[in-house]
Amino acid sequence: MSTTQSIGGETVTTKLAIRMEDSLQAFAVRAACFIGELDVPYSEEFDGHDFGATHIIACVGEEPVGALRVRWFQSFAMAERLAVVQRFRGHNIGQLLLERARKLAESHGSNMLYAQVLPVDVKYWEKQGWRRLVAEDASSGGKRIVAVVRAVDPNKPLPDVEAPESVMLRREAQLDASGLPLGTVSN
Amino acid sequence: MTESQSAGMAMSNHPVVTMKLASTSDELMQCYMLRAAIYMGEQHCPYQEEYDGNDYSASHIIVYVDGEPAASLRVRWFATFIKLERAVVLKRYRSMGLFLPLLRWAMELGRKKGYTKAYLHGQRRLWPIFERGGFHKVDVKPFHFSDHEYGAYACDIEVDEKTRPTVVTDPMVLNRPEDRLDEPGILEQSMDRGASNPHAEWTERRAN
Repeated sequence: MSTTQSIGGETVTTKLAIRMEDSLQAFAVRAACFIGELDVPYSEEFDGHDFGATHIIACVGEEPVGALRVRWFQSFAMAERLAVVQRFRGHNIGQLLLERARKLAESHGSNMLYAQVLPVDVKYWEKQGWRRLVAEDASSGGKRIVAVVRAVDPNKPLPDVEAPESVMLRREAQLDASGLPLGTVSN
Repeated sequence: MTESQSAGMAMSNHPVVTMKLASTSDELMQCYMLRAAIYMGEQHCPYQEEYDGNDYSASHIIVYVDGEPAASLRVRWFATFIKLERAVVLKRYRSMGLFLPLLRWAMELGRKKGYTKAYLHGQRRLWPIFERGGFHKVDVKPFHFSDHEYGAYACDIEVDEKTRPTVVTDPMVLNRPEDRLDEPGILEQSMDRGASNPHAEWTERRAN
């Protein structure tokens, strides 16, 4: 656990999900934000990638208040599902989670972090040291998602084009629908 | 018509609503996540209060609408009554009238297990719904926790004394999945294998 600041006298820490209970905390924070607040369907939020990924959790005292999922690819680490519980926003908890992800990627030997973000959120990510993978013009034109990247080691900036857009923007293959933890219509 | 076609048609006109006892870790996780969405996401309940330590001594009911997790309820089993808790319906399904059917399904589960009383703590704004569902106040005095005011409600459940499970009920009926006590369960199928008593000493097993 790393300590960086406190909110209302409670210490803010981050941890990796290593026990069942940790994973549940990360899932609950995501469900509160994405399903509860943003009305994302359960089956989209819990998309089948949760158990091939690493979750980072931010806690205020004992209370889990933020979560981030990191998926591991050969040439990059993908940060996704960044969520901070509403009443704890404005305390840089997202930044804390992203920094923990950067350190984790560093320890894995990754040299690039990658994320797909909504256009409205690009400024936030740029403030955290990320940049658009492709120039603004190329990523407009009806696309709802902007790819952003950042170097794991700030002293070793990424080459201009590390990977072509056609490869980087490709969504991971959809899992077999029958493999998803969806409800059956039995009984 | 294939199954998926009929499901597709159902989705467009009449959503298929399914209720079941959460019996796998995936189904349980769906219940927990619906609770997080509503209690943590909408009602700003802290995680530690929402997951209060009683989840693993309780049963959960999960409701699907067209296969998508939509509602959930937790049941705790006391000696003389069942306690219905953590009832949630996801925002997008709230106009479907799932809440009372979910309560009734839980009470039906209680009835099958022989319980004659259901009990719950109802948020003040929901009191008319519970009263419509046949619940009456146990005590007029409201109380509060996790930022909400509650009233204690109870409802009698009619149980057939002849069919309710007791210690003299067929043991294999008591072994069935609890929401399907009236159908043969997987352990009845296992009876075909006979009793080889695998815990017995190896020589003893070989003797037959």
